[in-house]
Amino acid sequence: MARLIWRVAPWAVVLALAAAWEIFAASGAVTPFMLPRLSVVLERIRADGASGELWQNLAYTLYRSFAGFFIAGALGIPLGILIGRNRAVRWLFDPLISVGFPMPKIAFLPIVTLWLGFHDVSKITMVVLDASFPVVTAAIAGTMSVERELLWSARNCGARGAALLREVVLPAALPQIFTGLQVALPIALIVAIVAEMKMGGVGLGGAMITATRFADSPGVFAGIVEIAVAGYVLVKLMAVLRRRLLLWHPEALAPATV
Amino acid sequence: MIQIEGVSHTYRTTDGRDIPALEGVSLEVREREFIALLGPSGCGKSTLLYLIGGFLPIASGSVRVHGTPVTGPGPDRGVVFQHFALFPWKTVLGNVLYGLEKLGVPRDVREKRAREFIDMVGLTGFEESYPSHLSGGMKQRAALARTLAIDPKVLLMDEPFGALDAQTRSLMQAELLAIWHRSPKTVIFVTHDVQEAVYLAQRVFVMSARPGKIKAVVETSFERSDPHIFKSKAFVDKVDEIWGLVRDEAMKAQKGRPF
Amino acid sequence: MRLGLVSADVLPSLSAVASAWWNLAIDPDLWRNAAASLYRGGAGLALAIVVGGALGIAMAWWRPVNALASPLVEMLYPMPKSALIPVTVLWLGFGDGSKILLIFLGCMLPVTLGAFNGARSCEQALVWSARSMGASRLNVLWDVVVPSALPELLNGIRTALALSFILLVSSELIVARAGLGYLIGFLGEGGVYDAMFAVVLMVAFLGFFADRVYMLAASRVLRWRD
Repeated sequence: MARLIWRVAPWAVVLALAAAWEIFAASGAVTPFMLPRLSVVLERIRADGASGELWQNLAYTLYRSFAGFFIAGALGIPLGILIGRNRAVRWLFDPLISVGFPMPKIAFLPIVTLWLGFHDVSKITMVVLDASFPVVTAAIAGTMSVERELLWSARNCGARGAALLREVVLPAALPQIFTGLQVALPIALIVAIVAEMKMGGVGLGGAMITATRFADSPGVFAGIVEIAVAGYVLVKLMAVLRRRLLLWHPEALAPATV
Repeated sequence: MIQIEGVSHTYRTTDGRDIPALEGVSLEVREREFIALLGPSGCGKSTLLYLIGGFLPIASGSVRVHGTPVTGPGPDRGVVFQHFALFPWKTVLGNVLYGLEKLGVPRDVREKRAREFIDMVGLTGFEESYPSHLSGGMKQRAALARTLAIDPKVLLMDEPFGALDAQTRSLMQAELLAIWHRSPKTVIFVTHDVQEAVYLAQRVFVMSARPGKIKAVVETSFERSDPHIFKSKAFVDKVDEIWGLVRDEAMKAQKGRPF
Repeated sequence: MRLGLVSADVLPSLSAVASAWWNLAIDPDLWRNAAASLYRGGAGLALAIVVGGALGIAMAWWRPVNALASPLVEMLYPMPKSALIPVTVLWLGFGDGSKILLIFLGCMLPVTLGAFNGARSCEQALVWSARSMGASRLNVLWDVVVPSALPELLNGIRTALALSFILLVSSELIVARAGLGYLIGFLGEGGVYDAMFAVVLMVAFLGFFADRVYMLAASRVLRWRD
């Protein structure tokens, strides 16, 4: 019985919050401009969905985030492994990464726009620029923490060069690399949305900034709910994927967390 | 004096099953007596210690220390844990000072007393070291100093030397005995090491596999200052006798485990 | 860079950027904007640390608090924080208030999660030790749980620090009338690219130095480890 309560409690809290939003907004304590009723916002999302506008915006935002995210992964993972395994490459990239990692890359947005224009290329470039750092640093850390004994016994079995990297180093570093990807995905979304807000046009971020300009507060709150749901679903999907991919890892047995 | 009567305890696992850890345990420890609780892992000997310490709620039965029922932890019962439980963010001195602070010992007395006990366990010169810079044996000395400094009437020790290497362990055993001879306290010492129990304790309480019960009480009395005690016939016979009692329980405890 | 492969507008030479920065630096305008940014970032982050840290430790210590707060934390943690920019503007306008609120909301969750995980990882034996030495439950919270939580809490704050720069710069780029992000956008729209590059680099290095100084301070606080 007690266990059932703790299971139901989270949903009850979410429902209670939704109800509180609706009641508070309807009470007249704040103007509908400051906080439109939840039902109005949901109705707006439904209307946007019916007209197809929501799906178009969502598709563009996700396309930009994912394109940048995949490029960041495709560049970052091999680069990170290489840096972790090769001293010369490490010497070359280490200063770049230790300076670049803590920098707010978003400040380069106007420069990237200046170079690449207002199209998708500059938005995706911004996403790559921001999302690749966590991937690279995670791949370096994962590669460097592979146990020597594991490498030695693989060498004993005859693994060499690329096979050693692919068959031993990559799987052994995978838990940490995946953690890096899990950090990078929300960053990719954040950056894509900021870029859209700054440059305007199609996309969830662009739609929200347009709504702000026209003081269309149901539009703004609809955007928040849409983006929050999208972020939540993506993060949960990554957690599920992680458990599938890392079945051999002890933590796969533990319940998935945030 | 410690009186334990009909104590049972049940653990609730995270998936909601109830596991009986102790069943109807009764025992009495005399004033300034050194006893050992001996049993296979999972027999509930640590649980019993935690009940006396007041860390776990006593659901059935009663535990009295000097006539007063235990309702919670208190400085009359000092505890030494297997993994030291030193505050890693405090120095050795800071750790030893902590309990004295909570007792309300005045500042100048506090410092002097702490240094005395650090000296007693042989850690002079390491007052300002953090636990992470000490070896396992030194950590346990620091933990011992911290507990002894608050001068508890009862000392509860939960496999205190279990995490140490063999040489350090035997050194610490001898030192613990020396300290106890100098200022005798009531000691309840939990261990799964038969030789350690026979060497240290005046009486050894052998516990059965889960759910834990007291299976036998064995009196031991040796001249412990004898350096060759471990080879003496009386000692070896005693260890054999107790090992015979424990072995069946250890094998029972092994069953139903994955490995 | 001086080979003329690219137009000097698109990639001004380093010397041009340096002299543009100097020209900005002798004008109080740059410092007025920097002060505005610093104030917003500092206030938002400080609020996030105080409220987020207290919430995280309370969640670990009292189960009802956890039951109430953790569904919200879990739901909102993955949310791209930049989505909040328009709302904060809607509520508090174009000035400092909206930026501080944004940074507070965006940075709070990493701090909360760090404090929560840190406090939860506090060893039972440490709590029991303190209790057996006469510490009250409230003593234990302050003397044992909070220091145990410190390493993870400081890690969460580092994430929050990085996030505060991102949120500050992006919100100032998008809607503001002051601040370094605003200045970048203003210079860019005016076509003063060498000055824009100068401010961009200045912001990037401020972020870098803030992180370095923070790490240095954190390692001082945690010098008891290893």
